[in-house]
Amino acid sequence: MNINDEDDTGVVFRKSLGHYTVHADGREIDCVLSSLIHKQLIYPTADPTSLRPVVQAVHEIEHVDPVAIGDRVRFVGAGQSRGMITEVLPRLSKLSRPATVPGQRVFEQVIASNADLVLPVFSATSPTPKWGLLDRYLVSAEAVELPALIVITKLDLAEKNPQLDADLEPYRRIGYPIQMVSSITGEGIDEFKQSLHGRMSVLVGKSGVGKTSLLNAIQPGLGLRVKEVSRGELGKGRHTTTYLEMFDLDFGGSIVDTPGMREFGLWNIPADELAYLFPEMANHVGQCKFGMSCRHDREPGCAIRRAVMDGGISPHRYKSYMNLREEL
Amino acid sequence: MKYHTSSFGDFRCAHCHHIVSAAHLLSGVNNRNHCPYCLWSYHLDLFAAGDRLSACKGQMKPIGLTMKKSRNKYRLESGGELMLVHECVECGTLSINRIAADDDSESIMEVFNESLLFSYKIRLRCEGHGVFMLEAEETESVYVQLYGPGVEVPAFA
Repeated sequence: MNINDEDDTGVVFRKSLGHYTVHADGREIDCVLSSLIHKQLIYPTADPTSLRPVVQAVHEIEHVDPVAIGDRVRFVGAGQSRGMITEVLPRLSKLSRPATVPGQRVFEQVIASNADLVLPVFSATSPTPKWGLLDRYLVSAEAVELPALIVITKLDLAEKNPQLDADLEPYRRIGYPIQMVSSITGEGIDEFKQSLHGRMSVLVGKSGVGKTSLLNAIQPGLGLRVKEVSRGELGKGRHTTTYLEMFDLDFGGSIVDTPGMREFGLWNIPADELAYLFPEMANHVGQCKFGMSCRHDREPGCAIRRAVMDGGISPHRYKSYMNLREEL
Repeated sequence: MKYHTSSFGDFRCAHCHHIVSAAHLLSGVNNRNHCPYCLWSYHLDLFAAGDRLSACKGQMKPIGLTMKKSRNKYRLESGGELMLVHECVECGTLSINRIAADDDSESIMEVFNESLLFSYKIRLRCEGHGVFMLEAEETESVYVQLYGPGVEVPAFA
Protein backbone atom coordinates (compact mmCIF):
# COMPACT_ATOMS: atom_id res chain seq x y z
CA MET A 1 0.00 0.00 0.00
CA ASN A 2 1.35 3.43 -0.90
CA ILE A 3 1.06 6.47 1.31
CA ASN A 4 -0.59 8.28 -1.54
CA ASP A 5 -3.38 5.74 -1.73
CA GLU A 6 -6.85 6.84 -0.78
CA ASP A 7 -7.70 6.66 2.90
CA ASP A 8 -8.85 3.28 4.15
CA THR A 9 -11.17 2.48 7.05
CA GLY A 10 -10.85 -0.14 9.75
CA VAL A 11 -11.63 -0.95 13.38
CA VAL A 12 -9.19 -0.43 16.24
CA PHE A 13 -8.64 -3.77 17.97
CA ARG A 14 -5.70 -3.10 20.25
CA LYS A 15 -3.81 -0.13 21.59
CA SER A 16 -0.69 0.16 23.62
CA LEU A 17 1.78 3.02 24.13
CA GLY A 18 0.75 5.14 21.17
CA HIS A 19 0.38 2.21 18.77
CA TYR A 20 -2.98 1.13 17.47
CA THR A 21 -3.73 -2.13 15.72
CA VAL A 22 -6.39 -1.63 13.09
CA HIS A 23 -8.22 -4.48 11.37
CA ALA A 24 -9.24 -3.68 7.80
CA ASP A 25 -10.33 -6.16 5.13
CA GLY A 26 -8.63 -9.05 6.92
CA ARG A 27 -5.37 -7.12 7.30
CA GLU A 28 -3.78 -6.05 10.56
CA ILE A 29 -2.26 -2.57 10.33
CA ASP A 30 0.01 -1.11 13.02
CA CYS A 31 -0.93 2.57 13.13
CA VAL A 32 0.24 5.72 14.82
CA LEU A 33 -1.85 8.84 15.25
CA SER A 34 -1.82 11.86 13.03
CA SER A 35 -1.12 14.97 15.08
CA LEU A 36 -4.21 16.51 13.49
CA ILE A 37 -6.42 14.26 15.61
CA HIS A 38 -5.17 16.03 18.73
CA LYS A 39 -6.06 19.42 17.32
CA GLN A 40 -9.13 21.33 16.31
CA LEU A 41 -8.54 23.83 13.51
CA ILE A 42 -10.49 27.05 13.92
CA TYR A 43 -11.57 28.76 10.69
CA PRO A 44 -13.01 32.26 10.37
CA THR A 45 -16.78 32.33 10.49
CA ALA A 46 -17.22 35.78 8.90
CA ASP A 47 -17.17 34.42 5.39
CA PRO A 48 -18.10 30.73 5.38
CA THR A 49 -18.39 30.73 1.60
CA SER A 50 -14.73 31.62 1.15
CA LEU A 51 -13.04 29.14 -1.17
CA ARG A 52 -9.73 29.28 0.63
CA PRO A 53 -10.40 29.47 4.36
CA VAL A 54 -7.34 30.25 6.41
CA VAL A 55 -6.77 28.57 9.77
CA GLN A 56 -7.05 31.23 12.46
CA ALA A 57 -6.21 29.18 15.51
CA VAL A 58 -5.42 25.67 16.59
CA HIS A 59 -6.94 24.31 19.77
CA GLU A 60 -5.58 21.24 21.47
CA ILE A 61 -8.39 18.74 22.04
CA GLU A 62 -8.46 17.77 25.70
CA HIS A 63 -8.69 14.05 26.05
CA VAL A 64 -6.51 11.23 27.29
CA ASP A 65 -6.59 9.33 24.02
CA PRO A 66 -8.67 10.36 21.03
CA VAL A 67 -8.89 6.79 19.78
CA ALA A 68 -10.68 4.04 21.68
CA ILE A 69 -10.97 0.31 21.18
CA GLY A 70 -13.82 -0.39 18.81
CA ASP A 71 -13.48 2.92 16.99
CA ARG A 72 -13.97 2.92 13.26
CA VAL A 73 -11.09 4.97 11.93
CA ARG A 74 -9.85 6.32 8.63
CA PHE A 75 -6.14 5.74 8.06
CA VAL A 76 -3.50 6.13 5.40
CA GLY A 77 -1.30 3.13 4.76
CA ALA A 78 2.47 3.53 4.82
CA GLY A 79 3.36 0.10 3.52
CA GLN A 80 4.60 -2.98 5.37
CA SER A 81 1.41 -3.19 7.42
CA ARG A 82 1.97 0.25 8.88
CA GLY A 83 -0.23 3.30 8.74
CA MET A 84 -1.39 6.53 10.29
CA ILE A 85 -4.87 7.17 11.71
CA THR A 86 -6.20 10.44 10.33
CA GLU A 87 -9.79 10.46 11.48
CA VAL A 88 -12.07 8.81 14.01
CA LEU A 89 -15.46 8.12 12.45
CA PRO A 90 -18.60 9.00 14.44
CA ARG A 91 -19.25 6.64 17.33
CA LEU A 92 -22.53 4.78 17.82
CA SER A 93 -21.87 4.44 21.55
CA LYS A 94 -19.07 4.93 24.02
CA LEU A 95 -18.37 3.76 27.53
CA SER A 96 -16.34 6.38 29.39
CA ARG A 97 -14.90 7.21 32.74
CA PRO A 98 -12.92 10.19 34.05
CA ALA A 99 -9.19 9.64 33.65
CA THR A 100 -7.39 9.70 36.97
CA VAL A 101 -4.25 11.68 36.28
CA PRO A 102 -3.10 13.25 39.59
CA GLY A 103 -2.57 16.99 39.49
CA GLN A 104 -4.20 17.45 36.11
CA ARG A 105 -7.61 18.43 34.89
CA VAL A 106 -10.05 15.57 34.53
CA PHE A 107 -10.34 14.26 31.00
CA GLU A 108 -12.65 11.74 29.43
CA GLN A 109 -11.25 8.27 28.95
CA VAL A 110 -13.27 6.24 26.48
CA ILE A 111 -12.92 2.59 27.45
CA ALA A 112 -14.61 1.21 24.36
CA SER A 113 -16.73 2.61 21.60
CA ASN A 114 -19.42 1.20 19.33
CA ALA A 115 -20.19 -1.54 21.88
CA ASP A 116 -23.57 -3.29 22.06
CA LEU A 117 -23.32 -4.85 25.51
CA VAL A 118 -21.57 -4.09 28.80
CA LEU A 119 -20.47 -7.05 30.89
CA PRO A 120 -19.74 -6.04 34.50
CA VAL A 121 -17.77 -9.01 35.85
CA PHE A 122 -17.71 -9.89 39.55
CA SER A 123 -16.43 -12.99 41.25
CA ALA A 124 -18.63 -14.95 43.63
CA THR A 125 -15.78 -14.66 46.10
CA SER A 126 -12.09 -13.70 46.14
CA PRO A 127 -12.03 -10.80 45.58
CA THR A 128 -15.19 -10.09 47.55
CA PRO A 129 -17.74 -8.43 45.26
CA LYS A 130 -18.30 -4.73 45.86
CA TRP A 131 -21.84 -4.08 44.74
CA GLY A 132 -21.34 -0.32 44.84
CA LEU A 133 -18.90 -0.76 41.96
CA LEU A 134 -21.49 -2.81 40.06
CA ASP A 135 -23.93 0.07 40.48
CA ARG A 136 -21.34 2.40 38.98
CA TYR A 137 -20.94 0.17 35.93
CA LEU A 138 -24.70 -0.16 35.54
CA VAL A 139 -25.25 3.59 35.82
CA SER A 140 -22.51 4.23 33.25
CA ALA A 141 -24.15 1.74 30.89
CA GLU A 142 -27.62 3.24 31.46
CA ALA A 143 -26.21 6.72 30.77
CA VAL A 144 -25.21 5.70 27.26
CA GLU A 145 -28.25 3.43 26.83
CA LEU A 146 -26.22 0.26 26.59
CA PRO A 147 -27.72 -2.97 27.90
CA ALA A 148 -25.77 -4.74 30.65
CA LEU A 149 -25.36 -8.40 31.50
CA ILE A 150 -24.03 -9.01 35.02
CA VAL A 151 -21.50 -11.84 34.99
CA ILE A 152 -20.65 -13.67 38.21
CA THR A 153 -17.49 -15.75 37.85
CA LYS A 154 -15.96 -18.43 40.07
CA LEU A 155 -19.31 -20.16 40.47
CA ASP A 156 -17.37 -23.19 41.73
CA LEU A 157 -16.46 -21.10 44.80
CA ALA A 158 -19.97 -19.68 45.32
CA GLU A 159 -20.57 -21.77 48.44
CA LYS A 160 -17.96 -19.64 50.19
CA ASN A 161 -20.27 -16.64 49.84
CA PRO A 162 -23.70 -17.61 51.26
CA GLN A 163 -24.82 -13.99 50.92
CA LEU A 164 -24.43 -13.99 47.13
CA ASP A 165 -28.01 -14.83 46.13
CA ALA A 166 -29.47 -12.29 48.53
CA ASP A 167 -27.07 -9.63 47.26
CA LEU A 168 -28.06 -10.30 43.64
CA GLU A 169 -31.79 -10.37 44.31
CA PRO A 170 -32.31 -6.58 43.92
CA TYR A 171 -30.69 -6.72 40.47
CA ARG A 172 -32.87 -9.66 39.41
CA ARG A 173 -35.92 -7.73 40.61
CA ILE A 174 -34.96 -4.70 38.55
CA GLY A 175 -34.64 -6.93 35.50
CA TYR A 176 -30.88 -7.00 34.92
CA PRO A 177 -29.90 -10.35 33.40
CA ILE A 178 -27.34 -12.24 35.47
CA GLN A 179 -25.08 -14.98 34.14
CA MET A 180 -23.31 -17.22 36.64
CA VAL A 181 -20.26 -18.95 35.17
CA SER A 182 -17.28 -21.00 36.20
CA SER A 183 -14.21 -20.95 34.00
CA ILE A 184 -12.94 -24.05 35.84
CA THR A 185 -15.98 -26.33 35.56
CA GLY A 186 -17.44 -24.74 32.41
CA GLU A 187 -20.79 -24.24 34.08
CA GLY A 188 -22.83 -21.47 32.43
CA ILE A 189 -20.27 -20.93 29.66
CA ASP A 190 -22.55 -22.12 26.82
CA GLU A 191 -25.36 -19.78 27.90
CA PHE A 192 -22.85 -16.98 28.22
CA LYS A 193 -21.60 -17.59 24.67
CA GLN A 194 -25.16 -17.35 23.38
CA SER A 195 -25.51 -13.94 25.03
CA LEU A 196 -22.38 -12.71 23.25
CA HIS A 197 -23.31 -14.03 19.81
CA GLY A 198 -23.20 -11.34 17.14
CA ARG A 199 -22.57 -8.48 19.56
CA MET A 200 -19.64 -6.34 20.51
CA SER A 201 -19.29 -6.72 24.26
CA VAL A 202 -17.08 -5.00 26.82
CA LEU A 203 -15.80 -6.76 29.94
CA VAL A 204 -15.38 -4.45 32.92
CA GLY A 205 -14.41 -5.40 36.43
CA LYS A 206 -11.81 -5.28 39.14
CA SER A 207 -8.50 -7.05 38.92
CA GLY A 208 -8.65 -10.71 39.79
CA VAL A 209 -12.33 -11.33 39.06
CA GLY A 210 -11.40 -13.63 36.18
CA LYS A 211 -12.09 -11.64 33.03
CA THR A 212 -9.22 -13.14 31.08
CA SER A 213 -9.94 -16.64 32.40
CA LEU A 214 -13.49 -16.17 31.21
CA LEU A 215 -12.18 -15.29 27.74
CA ASN A 216 -10.10 -18.46 27.72
CA ALA A 217 -13.15 -20.46 28.76
CA ILE A 218 -15.36 -19.17 25.95
CA GLN A 219 -12.64 -19.52 23.35
CA PRO A 220 -9.43 -21.31 24.34
CA GLY A 221 -6.30 -19.24 23.72
CA LEU A 222 -8.20 -15.96 23.47
CA GLY A 223 -6.66 -14.27 26.47
CA LEU A 224 -3.45 -16.02 27.26
CA ARG A 225 -2.42 -14.03 30.26
CA VAL A 226 -3.88 -15.46 33.47
CA LYS A 227 -2.53 -15.17 36.99
CA GLU A 228 -3.71 -16.31 40.37
CA VAL A 229 -5.25 -13.75 42.70
CA SER A 230 -2.53 -12.23 44.87
CA ARG A 231 -2.47 -13.53 48.41
CA GLY A 232 -1.50 -10.26 50.05
CA GLU A 233 -3.64 -7.18 50.48
CA LEU A 234 -6.93 -8.98 51.10
CA GLY A 235 -6.95 -10.80 47.76
CA LYS A 236 -7.54 -7.63 45.78
CA GLY A 237 -6.09 -9.18 42.66
CA ARG A 238 -3.20 -8.01 40.56
CA HIS A 239 -3.29 -6.71 37.04
CA THR A 240 -3.03 -9.47 34.44
CA THR A 241 -4.26 -7.50 31.47
CA THR A 242 -2.42 -4.20 31.19
CA TYR A 243 -3.79 -2.93 27.91
CA LEU A 244 -7.08 -2.83 26.10
CA GLU A 245 -7.74 -5.37 23.41
CA MET A 246 -10.67 -6.54 21.35
CA PHE A 247 -10.99 -10.14 20.19
CA ASP A 248 -13.09 -11.65 17.43
CA LEU A 249 -15.17 -14.56 18.61
CA ASP A 250 -15.31 -17.75 16.50
CA PHE A 251 -19.03 -18.10 17.14
CA GLY A 252 -19.75 -14.52 16.01
CA GLY A 253 -19.25 -11.17 17.66
CA SER A 254 -16.34 -9.58 19.42
CA ILE A 255 -15.34 -8.85 22.98
CA VAL A 256 -13.15 -6.19 24.59
CA ASP A 257 -10.92 -7.22 27.49
CA THR A 258 -10.04 -4.32 29.75
CA PRO A 259 -7.40 -4.01 32.46
CA GLY A 260 -8.83 -4.35 35.96
CA MET A 261 -10.37 -1.11 37.15
CA ARG A 262 -10.40 -0.52 40.89
CA GLU A 263 -11.92 2.90 40.39
CA PHE A 264 -14.67 3.81 38.02
CA GLY A 265 -15.98 7.35 38.16
CA LEU A 266 -19.02 8.62 36.33
CA TRP A 267 -18.43 10.77 33.30
CA ASN A 268 -20.69 13.58 32.18
CA ILE A 269 -23.75 12.62 34.20
CA PRO A 270 -25.68 15.59 35.67
CA ALA A 271 -26.61 15.06 39.33
CA ASP A 272 -30.27 15.83 38.57
CA GLU A 273 -30.46 12.98 36.09
CA LEU A 274 -28.80 10.33 38.21
CA ALA A 275 -32.06 8.89 39.57
CA TYR A 276 -33.23 8.20 36.00
CA LEU A 277 -30.23 5.90 35.60
CA PHE A 278 -31.50 3.65 38.39
CA PRO A 279 -34.37 1.92 36.54
CA GLU A 280 -36.27 1.14 39.74
CA MET A 281 -36.15 4.82 40.77
CA ALA A 282 -36.98 6.35 37.40
CA ASN A 283 -40.75 5.89 37.85
CA HIS A 284 -40.67 7.77 41.15
CA VAL A 285 -38.82 10.82 39.85
CA GLY A 286 -41.16 13.82 39.85
CA GLN A 287 -43.55 12.22 42.36
CA CYS A 288 -41.87 13.86 45.35
CA LYS A 289 -43.35 16.74 47.33
CA PHE A 290 -40.73 19.07 45.88
CA GLY A 291 -41.15 17.62 42.40
CA MET A 292 -38.09 17.71 40.19
CA SER A 293 -36.18 19.80 42.75
CA CYS A 294 -36.04 16.91 45.22
CA ARG A 295 -32.55 15.51 45.74
CA HIS A 296 -34.03 12.41 47.40
CA ASP A 297 -31.89 13.01 50.46
CA ARG A 298 -33.64 14.54 53.47
CA GLU A 299 -36.46 16.37 51.80
CA PRO A 300 -39.88 15.64 53.28
CA GLY A 301 -42.33 13.76 51.10
CA CYS A 302 -39.67 12.13 48.92
CA ALA A 303 -41.23 9.39 46.79
CA ILE A 304 -37.94 7.52 46.33
CA ARG A 305 -37.20 7.37 50.05
CA ARG A 306 -40.77 6.22 50.61
CA ALA A 307 -40.30 3.46 48.03
CA VAL A 308 -37.11 2.35 49.80
CA MET A 309 -38.94 2.14 53.11
CA ASP A 310 -41.82 0.24 51.49
CA GLY A 311 -39.39 -2.31 50.07
CA GLY A 312 -39.78 -1.34 46.41
CA ILE A 313 -36.18 -0.14 46.16
CA SER A 314 -33.21 -1.89 47.75
CA PRO A 315 -31.60 0.16 50.55
CA HIS A 316 -28.20 -0.82 49.15
CA ARG A 317 -29.11 0.59 45.74
CA TYR A 318 -30.40 3.76 47.40
CA LYS A 319 -27.12 4.07 49.31
CA SER A 320 -25.25 3.67 46.02
CA TYR A 321 -27.39 6.43 44.56
CA MET A 322 -26.52 8.73 47.45
CA ASN A 323 -22.80 7.91 47.21
CA LEU A 324 -22.75 8.58 43.48
CA ARG A 325 -24.79 11.75 43.87
CA GLU A 326 -22.23 13.10 46.33
CA GLU A 327 -19.54 12.69 43.68
CA LEU A 328 -21.36 14.59 40.97
CA MET B 1 -28.10 15.75 64.81
CA LYS B 2 -26.24 16.93 61.75
CA TYR B 3 -27.54 18.22 58.48
CA HIS B 4 -24.41 19.83 57.11
CA THR B 5 -20.84 18.64 57.33
CA SER B 6 -17.82 20.83 56.83
CA SER B 7 -14.57 19.66 55.34
CA PHE B 8 -13.26 18.65 58.74
CA GLY B 9 -16.32 16.63 59.72
CA ASP B 10 -17.71 19.27 62.07
CA PHE B 11 -21.38 20.02 61.68
CA ARG B 12 -24.17 22.27 62.85
CA CYS B 13 -26.94 20.48 64.69
CA ALA B 14 -30.19 20.76 62.74
CA HIS B 15 -32.19 20.62 65.98
CA CYS B 16 -30.46 23.08 68.35
CA HIS B 17 -28.16 24.71 65.75
CA HIS B 18 -25.01 24.37 67.86
CA ILE B 19 -21.79 23.82 65.96
CA VAL B 20 -20.51 20.40 66.92
CA SER B 21 -16.91 19.27 66.66
CA ALA B 22 -16.26 15.83 65.23
CA ALA B 23 -12.89 15.59 67.00
CA HIS B 24 -12.29 12.21 68.58
CA LEU B 25 -10.35 13.92 71.37
CA LEU B 26 -13.53 15.63 72.59
CA SER B 27 -16.13 12.96 72.06
CA GLY B 28 -14.11 9.84 72.81
CA VAL B 29 -15.96 8.05 70.01
CA ASN B 30 -14.99 7.53 66.38
CA ASN B 31 -18.36 8.45 64.91
CA ARG B 32 -20.69 10.87 66.57
CA ASN B 33 -24.21 9.55 66.71
CA HIS B 34 -25.94 12.58 68.19
CA CYS B 35 -25.52 16.22 69.13
CA PRO B 36 -23.76 16.50 72.52
CA TYR B 37 -25.91 19.50 73.48
CA CYS B 38 -29.51 18.50 72.68
CA LEU B 39 -28.79 14.76 72.19
CA TRP B 40 -30.97 14.58 69.07
CA SER B 41 -29.88 12.31 66.24
CA TYR B 42 -30.81 11.23 62.71
CA HIS B 43 -32.24 7.91 61.58
CA LEU B 44 -29.48 6.76 59.22
CA ASP B 45 -28.80 3.10 60.07
CA LEU B 46 -31.04 0.21 59.11
CA PHE B 47 -29.65 -3.25 59.87
CA ALA B 48 -26.51 -2.47 61.88
CA ALA B 49 -24.84 0.51 63.49
CA GLY B 50 -22.99 2.54 60.87
CA ASP B 51 -24.46 0.79 57.81
CA ARG B 52 -26.13 4.06 56.69
CA LEU B 53 -28.80 2.10 54.81
CA SER B 54 -31.89 3.76 56.22
CA ALA B 55 -33.88 5.89 53.82
CA CYS B 56 -36.06 7.30 56.61
CA LYS B 57 -33.60 10.03 57.67
CA GLY B 58 -36.11 11.29 60.22
CA GLN B 59 -35.03 13.09 63.37
CA MET B 60 -34.43 10.84 66.35
CA LYS B 61 -35.49 12.13 69.73
CA PRO B 62 -33.70 11.04 72.91
CA ILE B 63 -36.44 9.40 74.96
CA GLY B 64 -34.68 7.66 77.79
CA LEU B 65 -31.73 5.77 79.18
CA THR B 66 -30.88 2.13 79.38
CA MET B 67 -27.93 0.11 80.57
CA LYS B 68 -25.95 -2.06 78.22
CA LYS B 69 -24.95 -5.11 80.19
CA SER B 70 -23.75 -7.32 77.40
CA ARG B 71 -24.29 -7.73 73.67
CA ASN B 72 -27.97 -7.18 72.76
CA LYS B 73 -29.03 -7.04 76.39
CA TYR B 74 -30.01 -3.71 77.87
CA ARG B 75 -30.85 -3.88 81.50
CA LEU B 76 -29.54 -2.59 84.76
CA GLU B 77 -28.77 -5.49 87.03
CA SER B 78 -25.13 -5.55 87.97
CA GLY B 79 -24.01 -2.34 86.32
CA GLY B 80 -23.10 -1.81 82.67
CA GLU B 81 -22.70 1.07 80.26
CA LEU B 82 -25.21 3.88 80.30
CA MET B 83 -26.83 4.24 76.87
CA LEU B 84 -29.18 6.72 75.26
CA VAL B 85 -32.42 5.48 73.73
CA HIS B 86 -33.52 7.32 70.58
CA GLU B 87 -36.86 7.10 68.84
CA CYS B 88 -37.39 8.18 65.24
CA VAL B 89 -40.12 10.82 65.09
CA GLU B 90 -40.96 9.74 61.51
CA CYS B 91 -41.16 5.96 61.68
CA GLY B 92 -40.93 5.17 65.40
CA THR B 93 -37.79 3.05 65.16
CA LEU B 94 -35.90 2.70 68.43
CA SER B 95 -32.13 2.65 68.67
CA ILE B 96 -29.62 2.52 71.50
CA ASN B 97 -26.49 4.60 71.34
CA ARG B 98 -23.34 5.14 73.35
CA ILE B 99 -23.01 8.34 75.32
CA ALA B 100 -20.04 10.42 74.19
CA ALA B 101 -17.54 11.89 76.64
CA ASP B 102 -18.71 15.44 75.98
CA ASP B 103 -22.46 14.81 75.99
CA ASP B 104 -24.15 17.34 78.22
CA SER B 105 -24.87 15.61 81.53
CA GLU B 106 -27.68 18.03 82.38
CA SER B 107 -29.44 17.18 79.12
CA ILE B 108 -29.02 13.48 79.81
CA MET B 109 -30.59 13.92 83.23
CA GLU B 110 -33.45 15.86 81.65
CA VAL B 111 -34.07 13.00 79.23
CA PHE B 112 -33.97 10.54 82.12
CA ASN B 113 -36.40 12.55 84.25
CA GLU B 114 -38.82 12.93 81.35
CA SER B 115 -38.64 9.21 80.66
CA LEU B 116 -39.79 8.52 84.20
CA LEU B 117 -43.12 10.09 83.28
CA PHE B 118 -43.72 7.64 80.44
CA SER B 119 -46.83 5.58 80.62
CA TYR B 120 -46.71 1.85 81.16
CA LYS B 121 -47.78 1.44 77.51
CA ILE B 122 -44.68 3.19 76.17
CA ARG B 123 -42.37 1.21 78.42
CA LEU B 124 -44.06 -2.00 77.29
CA ARG B 125 -43.51 -1.03 73.66
CA CYS B 126 -39.82 -0.41 74.32
CA GLU B 127 -39.53 -3.74 76.12
CA GLY B 128 -41.11 -5.36 73.07
CA HIS B 129 -38.04 -4.15 71.16
CA GLY B 130 -35.71 -5.48 73.84
CA VAL B 131 -35.08 -2.04 75.36
CA PHE B 132 -35.54 -1.78 79.11
CA MET B 133 -35.71 1.87 80.13
CA LEU B 134 -34.17 2.83 83.44
CA GLU B 135 -36.65 3.59 86.20
CA ALA B 136 -36.74 5.91 89.23
CA GLU B 137 -35.00 3.45 91.55
CA GLU B 138 -31.99 3.49 89.21
CA THR B 139 -31.45 7.25 89.59
CA GLU B 140 -28.39 6.78 91.77
CA SER B 141 -26.76 4.52 89.19
CA VAL B 142 -27.36 7.15 86.52
CA TYR B 143 -25.72 9.83 88.69
CA VAL B 144 -22.76 7.58 89.38
CA GLN B 145 -22.33 6.87 85.67
CA LEU B 146 -22.55 10.56 84.74
CA TYR B 147 -20.69 12.26 87.56
CA GLY B 148 -18.56 9.47 89.05
CA PRO B 149 -18.71 7.46 92.27
CA GLY B 150 -19.23 9.38 95.49
CA VAL B 151 -21.43 12.03 93.87
CA GLU B 152 -24.16 13.44 96.04
CA VAL B 153 -27.54 12.56 94.59
CA PRO B 154 -29.95 15.50 95.01
CA ALA B 155 -32.77 14.85 97.46
CA PHE B 156 -35.48 15.63 94.91
CA ALA B 157 -34.11 13.03 92.48
